[in-house]
Amino acid sequence: MSIFSRLTSLFSPMGYPISEVLAYVVESAMLAIVASVSLAVVIYLFRKYMARVQLRIGPNRVGKFGLLQVMADGLKLAGKESIFPRKRDDLPYRIAPLMILVGLVMAFAVIPYGSLFWIGTLTVSDTSVSVLLLFAIIAIMPIGEVLAGISSKNKYALLGAMRAIAKDVSFEIPMMISVLAIVMMASARTASSLSINSIVLTELVPYGILQPLGIFVFMISMVARASYTPFDMGESDSELVTGYSTEYSGLRFGMFYMGLFGSILLGSFVISLFYLGGFNGPMQSSLGFVWLVIKAMIMVFMAFTLWLSMPRIRIDKFVNLGWKYLLPIAMINLVLSGTLTLLMGW
Amino acid sequence: MVRLVIEVKEPRRSIPIIGSLSGMMLVMRHLFRKPVTVQYPEEKSKLPDRFRFRIFLKLDDCVGCTLCEQVCPNGSITMQHVDRENPRNKRMIYPDVNFGTCTVCRNCEEICPTDAIYLTHVFETSRTRNSFTYSPEELAMQEDEVKK
Amino acid sequence: MNNFVELNFGPQHPSTHGVLRLRAKLDGEIVRELEPIIGYLHRNAEKLCELTFYADNLIFFDRMDYVASMLMESGYLEAAEKILNIPPPERVLWIRVIMNELSRIASHLVWAGAFGLDLGMLTPFFYCFAQRDYILDVFTEVCGSRQETNYMSVGGVYQDLTPEMIEHIDAFLQSFPKKLEEIYRLFVKNDIFISRNKGIGVLSKETAIDYGVTGPMLRASGVNYDVRKANPYLVYDKVDFDVPISQKGDNLARFLVRFEEMRQSVRIIKQAITKIPDGPFFNPKAKKSMMIRLRGDGEYYARTESPKGEFGVYIVGDGGVKPYRVRVRSPSFKNLSVLPVLAKDQMISDLISISGTIDLVFGEVDR
Repeated sequence: MSIFSRLTSLFSPMGYPISEVLAYVVESAMLAIVASVSLAVVIYLFRKYMARVQLRIGPNRVGKFGLLQVMADGLKLAGKESIFPRKRDDLPYRIAPLMILVGLVMAFAVIPYGSLFWIGTLTVSDTSVSVLLLFAIIAIMPIGEVLAGISSKNKYALLGAMRAIAKDVSFEIPMMISVLAIVMMASARTASSLSINSIVLTELVPYGILQPLGIFVFMISMVARASYTPFDMGESDSELVTGYSTEYSGLRFGMFYMGLFGSILLGSFVISLFYLGGFNGPMQSSLGFVWLVIKAMIMVFMAFTLWLSMPRIRIDKFVNLGWKYLLPIAMINLVLSGTLTLLMGW
Repeated sequence: MVRLVIEVKEPRRSIPIIGSLSGMMLVMRHLFRKPVTVQYPEEKSKLPDRFRFRIFLKLDDCVGCTLCEQVCPNGSITMQHVDRENPRNKRMIYPDVNFGTCTVCRNCEEICPTDAIYLTHVFETSRTRNSFTYSPEELAMQEDEVKK
Repeated sequence: MNNFVELNFGPQHPSTHGVLRLRAKLDGEIVRELEPIIGYLHRNAEKLCELTFYADNLIFFDRMDYVASMLMESGYLEAAEKILNIPPPERVLWIRVIMNELSRIASHLVWAGAFGLDLGMLTPFFYCFAQRDYILDVFTEVCGSRQETNYMSVGGVYQDLTPEMIEHIDAFLQSFPKKLEEIYRLFVKNDIFISRNKGIGVLSKETAIDYGVTGPMLRASGVNYDVRKANPYLVYDKVDFDVPISQKGDNLARFLVRFEEMRQSVRIIKQAITKIPDGPFFNPKAKKSMMIRLRGDGEYYARTESPKGEFGVYIVGDGGVKPYRVRVRSPSFKNLSVLPVLAKDQMISDLISISGTIDLVFGEVDR
């Protein structure tokens, strides 16, 4: 029994259409709250981990162990004056950070979270084409970046947006092809192979083991999507100040910041769903969510380590990597997994 | 004379990715090392003997020779008239110090013939913009007695 | 051509190492023309030196290359002691060598960390600064302050080096090489680091000599010129060390030369702390009370090897207690002049990494 059906039965005295609508509203609100809280947790973990790895202590003043530091920072950002550049293109300038954040929260709605004890399944919406929906939503975020870069009429921001476009074009195709290999493998076992939920249910052997090339391509793509250090050419802070978000301040800047950490979390969830077996594990019906979170957290910490230990790649080298290496590798992966599916019946 | 020259060797090319992964492991291993941070107001690292900051003045020893004023490279020290009975200081002039420009070069301490002006370990001196300059009497006081 | 985008880097920019301003004409991502604009940290040090006594001028030299202030002091004293005719005793020369080389390691560590940040590596910066802090602790113990030490004085040093301090330096030297190799591995094992630096910003031998480039940059271009060997001062002819050079002349070569120099500095200090003789730590002719009475006559140009290159000090004395003219040949300034040549037709990312390898310190460029 999912949260949605519980909410519907809770509101059922109000009649059919109202109870359904109310249940959706309440569930969306819950999702937004849970997503922002988990983002705060990820930001806190990142700051603590970064500090310890760099022989520092990290936030420890606000709240016990600095747990409320992220909230304090958020309040500080919210209290700051938003400085608008004079020659901005007003509407795109204002909606660009919203697009990034909304795209992100929407993507969290599509992910199947597995079930947890008596609550039942935690999935917010489970459609039969959730793979397509997920990648369509992820594709909204680059538009926000580009809008931000072009509308703020700043040379650094413009260069950042140009780099972001070049980067997005070069990694999205290999990413989609490697996802295609997953769908192909899953289609041998399930009828609705475009639903993430049923893909994960077929994943008794994690696809990461069957498709090592696929997980390699997909991980690089997710790093590039979240744009942290090896592949953060769009906002490379030592070259282009902060790239497309240079002209943003206050809460709008905070939205870009949350977008970055949200993308790391989202990417980790998606990788663990597609390649690491997702919520599969012992006692799946009651502990599924726990397995998913553990796998995602391992991916998050791997992402942090990658972020902290790598220098930034040059944009032309990345485009080169995307087209000359990632794309052929993804193709080979597709062929290999197709052969595997045909021969072994996996 | 023999000139010893060595050619620096470029690092051997390792297999791609493996080298980067070893760097990542190295970074991750630092997680278990002790942080080097000293959390200042609570824990204070031990200051070595030669650490110097705040300038003090013994009013009784000062002879008003103006050497410290002359040697101060920034002109932080100027001589002030102070009404004070001191048989050694007939001109009744004493140095004051502008800590806004003082670079703690310790030249005044070195040149002082009577060791009247000297520097100490005291470094927790917070001041407002109006009180950068310490008058001769204030230089003789402890830090917590000085009016900020 | 008016199709170029004119972009202004700095003075407030994350990776300009202080207050460098670069006016770049960009063709997309590629830098076509570059003009460094300096002067934002100009503090008139040369003129101030004419207004103060010989013994006081050290504080202005401390603030030139503020990450290697010991070397600036000893560079000034090379010239000033000749003008004043006060040779320092033997022990002082060895103390100065120890302090110079510690300062050189500190300076190169700051450079390595900042260069990592230029490339986007967040973590090595902290490892470098943690190691540098041990050196600064030694400085605090020896001189009383961390960065602007004002340790050396005309004809001697401020206070003597005690056996405990030598022990502490020795303890640092025991632990440091291992950490240095760790930092080194973190950089050079990385594929992206190599791809960002190998073959980027190649400075040919001829261009380097034409522009007056010195120091590790010159040695990375294949010229064997180190003032410590070419014109030994202090006691550098009595210690055994190698001069690292490379024929490549690219960013990676400059990086490797600097790391090798740190290892050689460790070697020098290890020899110096065993060979250091006993004796007075200042020349009695330059007692404390003589500070404002030292008179200098004649002119002298002294050159020393700072971490950035050849640091020259030219002093003219007119018989008074203050120098008539002090002129500084600052290596960073000469090295910066080659940046437009190196960065021409390179990408913005490479411009940043090339300006990182020059090792700019703006206290010294603008003086």
